[in-house]
Amino acid sequence: MSQQPLLSVTNLGISTVQDPRTLVNNVSFDINPGEAVGVVGESGSGKTLSALSILGLLPRGVGVVSGEILFNGKNLLTLKPEELRQIRGNKIAMIYQDPMTALNPVMKLGKQLLEVIASHDGINEQSDDRVRALLSEVGIPDVNRAMESYAHEFSGGMRQRIMIAMALLLSPKLLIADEPTTALDVTIQQQILALVSDARKKRDMSMLWITHDLGVVANLVNRLNVMYAGRIVESGTVEEIFRRPKHPYTAGLLSSLPTSTGTNRERLTSISGVPEKPWLVGNSCGFAARCSRAQSRCHNEIPLSVVKDDSTVACFFPLGSK
Amino acid sequence: MSLEIEHVEKLYKIVSTQTVIHALNGVDISLPTGKTLGIVGESGCGKSTLARLVTGLEAPNKGNIRWNGSPIHNVNKGSFSTKKSVVQLVFQDPYSSLNPRQRIGAAISEIITVHKLVEKEHIDSRVSELLALVGLADDLKNRYPHQLSGGQRQRVSIARALAAEPNLLVLDEPVSALDVSVRAEVMNLLIDLREKLGLTYIFISHDLAMIRYISDFVAVMYLGKIVEFGNWEQVINDPKHPYTQALINAMPDHTVIGNPESLAKTLQGEVPDPVNLPTGCAFHLRCVKATPACTLVSQTLIEISPNHQVACMEAKA
Repeated sequence: MSQQPLLSVTNLGISTVQDPRTLVNNVSFDINPGEAVGVVGESGSGKTLSALSILGLLPRGVGVVSGEILFNGKNLLTLKPEELRQIRGNKIAMIYQDPMTALNPVMKLGKQLLEVIASHDGINEQSDDRVRALLSEVGIPDVNRAMESYAHEFSGGMRQRIMIAMALLLSPKLLIADEPTTALDVTIQQQILALVSDARKKRDMSMLWITHDLGVVANLVNRLNVMYAGRIVESGTVEEIFRRPKHPYTAGLLSSLPTSTGTNRERLTSISGVPEKPWLVGNSCGFAARCSRAQSRCHNEIPLSVVKDDSTVACFFPLGSK
Repeated sequence: MSLEIEHVEKLYKIVSTQTVIHALNGVDISLPTGKTLGIVGESGCGKSTLARLVTGLEAPNKGNIRWNGSPIHNVNKGSFSTKKSVVQLVFQDPYSSLNPRQRIGAAISEIITVHKLVEKEHIDSRVSELLALVGLADDLKNRYPHQLSGGQRQRVSIARALAAEPNLLVLDEPVSALDVSVRAEVMNLLIDLREKLGLTYIFISHDLAMIRYISDFVAVMYLGKIVEFGNWEQVINDPKHPYTQALINAMPDHTVIGNPESLAKTLQGEVPDPVNLPTGCAFHLRCVKATPACTLVSQTLIEISPNHQVACMEAKA
């Protein structure tokens, strides 16, 4: 693909400020215009921190120590706070796992949504209609009543719809979603996935979807980055990663999932041990201690991402090789 | 030899609003010992309320729960401090269910002491035995919960439940809080323990894939009622209730990929308020097959093929 990526993250490193501990190491990926990219990883793999760093929202005590994040060719890491504020919410919007903590509990929703427009474009006579149109697009039944209601009056699914409306208000080029369906029931989760999928296509918007659930992204994104212990260990198209995983971790993760069809009572294939802390990996492959294919080289050297066609894998002995 | 749940109803009165939440609206289950019943449903369907009733943490407003013929509440209360308890519960979150200031060894030996199951001088070796049973190293005895991983903590919770030597284990979302790569190990452990100790399980989950993997029988709950019951193959491979069908369709499935249209076949609407239950079938507001009769009459469970029960007028064998 020769087109200019919308977002290009290169060699991103994130670490704690005091007593430096590496949390994200050498992460690189691109998101093309209109493309949906998924990031899959377990807790502590660095998936959320990587996403937060794009918007300059890293928690206190954690900072970017290396790399660059280019959005439309501009390095977000070197922008002044005021310049970043112009992009945040406006060009890049984010939805979070827990919509209750992301909404203001004591402000009516109509006012909250208008505030988003006020802080970027400024309010005019069309603003109110814009808010109402979006609320009805995301499936809020009684829009007039919703404008006058508070967040606690809605169910979790409805709150997440409101968050999506808020994120789409300023027609962002990129939507970052951090596990927005994890707290929801499966039938509601599916409604939200369908909603986001439609809204994205209608706007030709790019998306970065973070999740720990491979099943969620299977039908939602075009490309997938698999993170483990602070690094991207494998990336590629959804088709490639699910059908022909090359990194032993990806393969192990896929085979440890029970499927919704087939027999029961067979033992699940499990990965022994627990995920390694990124700062304890040192000069080795982060997965080596749990990997059945590991050899001495894996414990003494960091495997770099090898690019082949449209995919990358960071493994000395990937599956499908000798 | 079985667990019998008969016509169980549970209401919660909310004093401030003078309203009543109908958590369970007539539940009947018969589970032979040594078997595993999977209970699946969305938040508010009453699955955790049922778990609390079966473990005797709360009493039902109506109906009976019996273990081998005796009411489970008496069984559990009477034996609370003297001998083994019939039923134990394992919670979802191993971070909040262990005392952060108590060492692992003490957390397990406490149960043995309370139930007076082993002579004092043998308690330590019994703790070692229990740790080995759940696949943990003996030196974890001196550690605190924060020094353990999520998977290890859930193993400790299972060891604590087993310390009381129960016959029946109620597992309320036991792997939902764990990382994907460690879930499989805990599931395998549960299956091994069931065989080794001859345990009966009630396995509660919103994840049908886990339910399918471990259960002999499956009950699907919606708004305080069982809408479908049968052996796992009947319910999961040949679902008859429109809600079960929708639930199975909504399961994120990593074996079906690159098909955005699959997201569109989704169930509309949300679960109604358990304070104001809809008339007729509680599911009719979201059901694609609903007829005018469904808005008036609530169908009870009917057997449409041997052992396969469905509460739907439109369901056919």
